[in-house]
Amino acid sequence: MAETDKSATKPADKYYVERCLDGHPDDFRYLVRRYQAALLANLAGKLGDRDRAEEAAQEALVRAYFNMAKLKKPDSFFSWLLGIADRVAKEHERKEQIQRQREIVRSFAEEASGTELSQDYALESAIAGLPDAYRQIVLLRYYGGHSCNDIAGQLDMPLGTVTKMLSRAYAMLRELLQQQKQTQVYEVEK
Amino acid sequence: MNCEKCKELLVAYVEELLEEPGKQSIAEHLKDCPSCQSQVRELRDLHDRLVKNGKALARQTVGGQARGDLENNVMNQIVREQNVRLKAAATGTGGPRPTLHIGRTFMKSAMTKLAAAAAIIVAVTVGMLQLGGGTVTFAQVIEPILNARTMAFDLIIGGEESGLTMHDIVVGPRIRRTMSNMPNMTQIIDLDNAKLLGLDAQGKTAVYVDIKGDLGDRTRSYIKFVRQIISQLQEGQVQELGERVIDGQKAVGFIGKGQNEEVTIWADPRTGLPIRIEAKIGQEFSFIMKNFEFNAAVDESLVSMDVPEGFTLQKTNIDLGNASEQDFVESLRIWAEIIGDGTFPEAIGTESVMREMPKLVQKVTAMQVSEEKGTQICMSFAKGMLFHQILEGQGRWTYAGEGVKLGDASKAIFWYQPKDSATYRVIYGDLTVKDVTPENLPK
Repeated sequence: MAETDKSATKPADKYYVERCLDGHPDDFRYLVRRYQAALLANLAGKLGDRDRAEEAAQEALVRAYFNMAKLKKPDSFFSWLLGIADRVAKEHERKEQIQRQREIVRSFAEEASGTELSQDYALESAIAGLPDAYRQIVLLRYYGGHSCNDIAGQLDMPLGTVTKMLSRAYAMLRELLQQQKQTQVYEVEK
Repeated sequence: MNCEKCKELLVAYVEELLEEPGKQSIAEHLKDCPSCQSQVRELRDLHDRLVKNGKALARQTVGGQARGDLENNVMNQIVREQNVRLKAAATGTGGPRPTLHIGRTFMKSAMTKLAAAAAIIVAVTVGMLQLGGGTVTFAQVIEPILNARTMAFDLIIGGEESGLTMHDIVVGPRIRRTMSNMPNMTQIIDLDNAKLLGLDAQGKTAVYVDIKGDLGDRTRSYIKFVRQIISQLQEGQVQELGERVIDGQKAVGFIGKGQNEEVTIWADPRTGLPIRIEAKIGQEFSFIMKNFEFNAAVDESLVSMDVPEGFTLQKTNIDLGNASEQDFVESLRIWAEIIGDGTFPEAIGTESVMREMPKLVQKVTAMQVSEEKGTQICMSFAKGMLFHQILEGQGRWTYAGEGVKLGDASKAIFWYQPKDSATYRVIYGDLTVKDVTPENLPK
């Protein structure tokens, strides 16, 4: 089942992966471009701040490039990349510090919520808390600019499954966001 | 429709994935079901929040001031690490063996000038757009663009698959430009003073180039062109292409045809801002502009014409003005002799020039000529190709040199009709040029 969007005229990940392996390293740029926002959203959610996220994203991407030959299925470049990013994030993560960071960032984010460019850390960290398969779909859809049809094609699943998983992801995100709010309220009261 | 069924489909509804009958029955159910109504509101809120955050992040990574930062950092780190690995492999000092080849290790600092010279061709080459009297017009004026303080976009030479991308940030009369196949080179163009500052981030060297006369005008006209095609989304000669999803966004399209160009614009139906512009100019030249960003805050230092701290200024003598047919013939010679190992290329034109540029630098480097001589070769190549660029906007030309050996006097490789001339100029494989009447042109 490879339902593809009419608009999907861009080369697939597989094409760029193969170009890189064939000795065209410059083409890696397109994969970076395609996924950097998704990768940053995911890492910002995990690590708590933008600088750390960028640092980790860079490391993950460079690691991915040099390990490309190990990628078994070029079609699943993104989920593979997410796996690498998660490992990098883990390595970068020092728990207590991060926890503190998150609180600080959260309070900052709230103060600055009127400005357009402020990132939605609460949302990003909720996304980071989703199970892998759901997280991947949310990242692709909203941070990678893919349509549901695109995602169905890329992940080789029926469109119906994508929308079902997306529904489930929405439900989980709402729960996670709710939980965050409660923790915050609790902390304020304490 | 009951609530249970409705709730199952709400995300698909919010995502606008449902066909008409399903959509309608949900809409009807929503009318008299407050519980589902509140659910759909919540979903919409979350949806909007996701879209908003996604866009904000995309702007910060691909757009705005920090644009290309992560991307360029990654690419530069890859080059550095690859070099370390290659060195380790060459000296047998162990370390992981290189698994991928890298095509730009030749960008050594000693060759900065050469590379800068080469990069300049591409810098000006896209300035070569002839507007044919501005006959391309489209519906809908977009005022904010005309008055945009800053404008950033990617320009892909040739088709999407060419992989040849320029990224431009335009701030008033200044342009900051980077190119995908010369990752360390940045150019800052000052249109007011017809000057260009070339920077090589790897060699930490800088060069100034004068782009007075024709060249500066043309570079300027390129910016004008961009603004013109966007602003002229107005009266007549425009065909609507309807709605489609372009680069992940809903877009409305227009196509306009001029004497010598065809431009398609896809714009956001809500804001009227362009999402993607596809243009065909003359016979061979096409490009795509996308990832537009208007009025993003741009740090002044990004378009400063001063040599950045830590960079060494190199002296250079680069004159790219007034290209002649003779220059063009010389560039064909260089192309066949140096790049093509004795054979004329498959095609000529902006896309091919941009693609072959790194190769020319590489070949010239391998020839081990003096830096001065090397720069001269690159500049001759650039100058001649500018002649062709000008032709592109003025009239018909034909290239038939694919596979022809340099020196083959029996084969015509290129012919064109000069402005106001009754006869054609025909260039042969031995690089002689003859005047030929139209009826005697090669078939």
